[in-house]
Amino acid sequence: MEQQDHSAMEHQQVFKKLSVNGEPHSVGFSVHHSLLEVLREQMQLTGTKHGCELGECGTCTVLIDGQPVLSCLELAVECEGREITTVEGMMIGNDLHPLQEAFADLGAAQCGYCTPGILMTAKALLEENPAPTRDEVVSALAGNLCRCTGYHKILEGIDWAAAKMRGDEDFRPPREAIYGDPLPGEEPSDA
Amino acid sequence: MPKEIQIKVGFGDQFRDLTVRIQDDDVKPWQPGDRLNLIGQSTPRVDAVAKVTGTANYSYDQKPKGMIYGKILRSPHGNADIVSIDIDKAKKLPGVRAILTAPEIFEDESARYAGAEVAAVAADTEMQAEAALRAIEVEYDIKPHCVTVEDARKEGAPQVGRGEQVNVARISPRQRRGRRGSNSDMDERLARQEAAVGKVIQDSDVVVEGEFSTQVQTHAPLETHGSVCSWEDGRLICWASSQATFGFRNELTSNWGGVRAKSCQILSEYVGGGFGSKFSAGREGVLGALLAKEAGVPVHLMLDRSGEQLSAGNRPDSLQQMKMGVNKDGVIQGTRIRSWGTPGTGTGGAGAHNDGIYNIGEVDKIEYGVRTNTGGAKAHRAPGWPQGAFALEQMMDMAADEIGMDRVEFRKKNDEHPIRKVEYDIAKDRIKWNRSLTRNGGAEICQGLGIASNLWFSAGGGGASALVRITKDGQVEVRNGAQDIGTGTRTVMGMVVAEELGLEMNQVATRIGNTDDPQGPASGGSTTIGTVTPAARLAAFHAKKELMEIVADRKGWDASELDLKDQEVWRIGEGSTGMTFESACALMDDDAIEVLKGRPRRNYEGFSDTNAGVQAAHVEVNQATGAVKVLKVVAVADAGKILNPLTSESQVRGGVIQGVSFALFERRIMDRQKGRMLNDDFENYKMLGSMDCPEIDVVLLDVYNGKSNTQVMGLGEPPIVATAAAVANAVSDALGVRMYDLPITPKKVLEAIAKRDAAKEVPAQKKGERL
Repeated sequence: MEQQDHSAMEHQQVFKKLSVNGEPHSVGFSVHHSLLEVLREQMQLTGTKHGCELGECGTCTVLIDGQPVLSCLELAVECEGREITTVEGMMIGNDLHPLQEAFADLGAAQCGYCTPGILMTAKALLEENPAPTRDEVVSALAGNLCRCTGYHKILEGIDWAAAKMRGDEDFRPPREAIYGDPLPGEEPSDA
Repeated sequence: MPKEIQIKVGFGDQFRDLTVRIQDDDVKPWQPGDRLNLIGQSTPRVDAVAKVTGTANYSYDQKPKGMIYGKILRSPHGNADIVSIDIDKAKKLPGVRAILTAPEIFEDESARYAGAEVAAVAADTEMQAEAALRAIEVEYDIKPHCVTVEDARKEGAPQVGRGEQVNVARISPRQRRGRRGSNSDMDERLARQEAAVGKVIQDSDVVVEGEFSTQVQTHAPLETHGSVCSWEDGRLICWASSQATFGFRNELTSNWGGVRAKSCQILSEYVGGGFGSKFSAGREGVLGALLAKEAGVPVHLMLDRSGEQLSAGNRPDSLQQMKMGVNKDGVIQGTRIRSWGTPGTGTGGAGAHNDGIYNIGEVDKIEYGVRTNTGGAKAHRAPGWPQGAFALEQMMDMAADEIGMDRVEFRKKNDEHPIRKVEYDIAKDRIKWNRSLTRNGGAEICQGLGIASNLWFSAGGGGASALVRITKDGQVEVRNGAQDIGTGTRTVMGMVVAEELGLEMNQVATRIGNTDDPQGPASGGSTTIGTVTPAARLAAFHAKKELMEIVADRKGWDASELDLKDQEVWRIGEGSTGMTFESACALMDDDAIEVLKGRPRRNYEGFSDTNAGVQAAHVEVNQATGAVKVLKVVAVADAGKILNPLTSESQVRGGVIQGVSFALFERRIMDRQKGRMLNDDFENYKMLGSMDCPEIDVVLLDVYNGKSNTQVMGLGEPPIVATAAAVANAVSDALGVRMYDLPITPKKVLEAIAKRDAAKEVPAQKKGERL
């Protein structure tokens, strides 16, 4: 019996108007599908990644009405009338969003799999709090796992993007150096 | 014919001249003082924009036309044999296109751990596939299980394996079979060794000993294992989440698992992490390929998180008994080591490298592999090293304390590595080794410092070729079929070619992760960069030579005097000829110059065969709660010549956080009654997150090691070796009591404190004895 119920559900298609990245879309999908599945499979927006499908890793984070949400736990049918933003909607015209630019320049994306989710969380943070402290950034990211980078470049990327968005062009994040070499921008000493 | 050249090798103020024999067509390694445009400069990843815009397509994201979904049925029992599998009901369910059973495919009726593959289904939707899995009826012959080393080692423990397989087997030194020397000779030799080293230890001024244990750590890459497979006219195309594209291909064309594809292309342009677990196609890779074949349409078979945690690999645990004899002058005389570890249902691959790095005198070491009914181990970022370093480095501190010598000075006394000797002082300086802190449990919140070393061997080797193409209209590309799992290989391969051709980064296209391109290595042993980049540089060098010959021929110049720099043709020693790179390319008669070059098979004599590192940790421990916070880690790393500080530093940071996570949080928890893993998810398998992240001070040394034309050594594994050991030493320093067991959870800290305080009240307690 259970199996028949499931396959019946599979055929229970619904058509909904979803507003994704500022554009309205009419999308048909099975009623039980998560927002993650609908974005990826019906709308080909594969920038939002699968990590655990249990709401534990943050990889699938998108914004709904500006708030970070785990799209694997959100039913797509409940998203009608709400504004959904994914990593594909982050660029500003043809330019990278300051967060994208900072992440790319600093190496905040290593394997890159957690990156879209982290960018979404960071975007929501900066929209609410243009000058977060390090503690505020760290706690905003507490639900996004990264296995590669060591987090620092992500934190610095957020600091840098926040500075750019505030119009502070002088802010410079710390950069890598080879031991014994002068830091970039430092003149070698004459000695 | 090799040719002899003079090079400088070394670092800092330690350079020397060396005559090396290099392959006759190879190019001289970069020398100190060479004017380099890109090499040594922090260079963003060439695929960074794709990654931050969501256009980077991973295996999970592939969707070839007509694709359906595959799922795997796993055994729920700790130890069982599969008696029968009835797929009749499942076959009739809607959407089901193919069903395979594991005993048939892998010719193995056993399901020796909870999580073992039993069957696989492909159906039109994921839900239909899941419904079909539930409809498969399996009859199991359930057997008793052992899921811990302790249980499996007990007298009369249930048999984990089958047939003659014993639970505990000596894995090192290996038993000899049928070759010179019988097993009884070996037993005699080991008995002699035990007696001799035992005497050396006994005759030393001081003896320290301890029993150390470490936990099972899963790899937990954010993209799970699996692939999307499609058969096109008998050719298998497989988008695989793989860290060894060519190895994956070879498995799918071999007899193993019975895929036997006549032709196979693996595509892995983007891979969401691997850390050693993605070398093999694995059972899921085989099942995906065969489901696609049977269904006649492409199949998407990526593991779910539970399957990943249960079956896709882990770092084996360890139990290490160490005994060390040391003289008062600080020289280690001898060390006795017995260790056990479980790699799952097998016995191999669970060793702990607790006898490396330092000179530890005469060594008597025996290692045992212990079968348990658990998911199999796989190579995990420096296999065997973090657990071995943990035990060894605790012993180093215990010995130093016992003879009253500074812990760093004691290490220096037993360490001859020329690079590490310098690194100790850098680490001491950056962590402020001699600062005053509230140590030894002197306050509710106390602090401590710890130090540990690492060693690696990653200059690379043969087994890679690169293709460099320069077109008549000035386009440049470099191809190698190996993958970039986040390490930065792709970017650095492009940098090396751009440097050699005097171009900017954006003028060189990089193509990777495709087995139709030239052969490349697995991302393993930290050897990828040292294997790929010399091939890329060599191909670029010869492509440049061909281009210069064309220019020389047309202009009546001498080709041997020409070079490319700053996007122009230069006359060596004089400066630019004014001819741009594009106008040089336009002189070609053909459409393109294409050069394919293999990496020289051998590494050259150089400054050091191993790369060295030292890490120091500063921790804070709350004695009321048992919570440990790592405040700072100083990671001093040598990776030969640093080609890209950005990706190098990133690798070090990544290693350090995985090391801190290993020291404090991660552990597989097995239910001994039911025989299955309890935390096969991210909720209960705690990994380090942003809030647990310490400050990490990365110090990159630039070592001209002369081993290849790019002189680089890999940096994936070395940085994880020392971290947990340094953190544990720092916790012991803060508490004034030794930590013997990872991960250092609040419970273990509180227990150690209780034992320390109890011991204080019993002054007769023997010094050095394990609390």
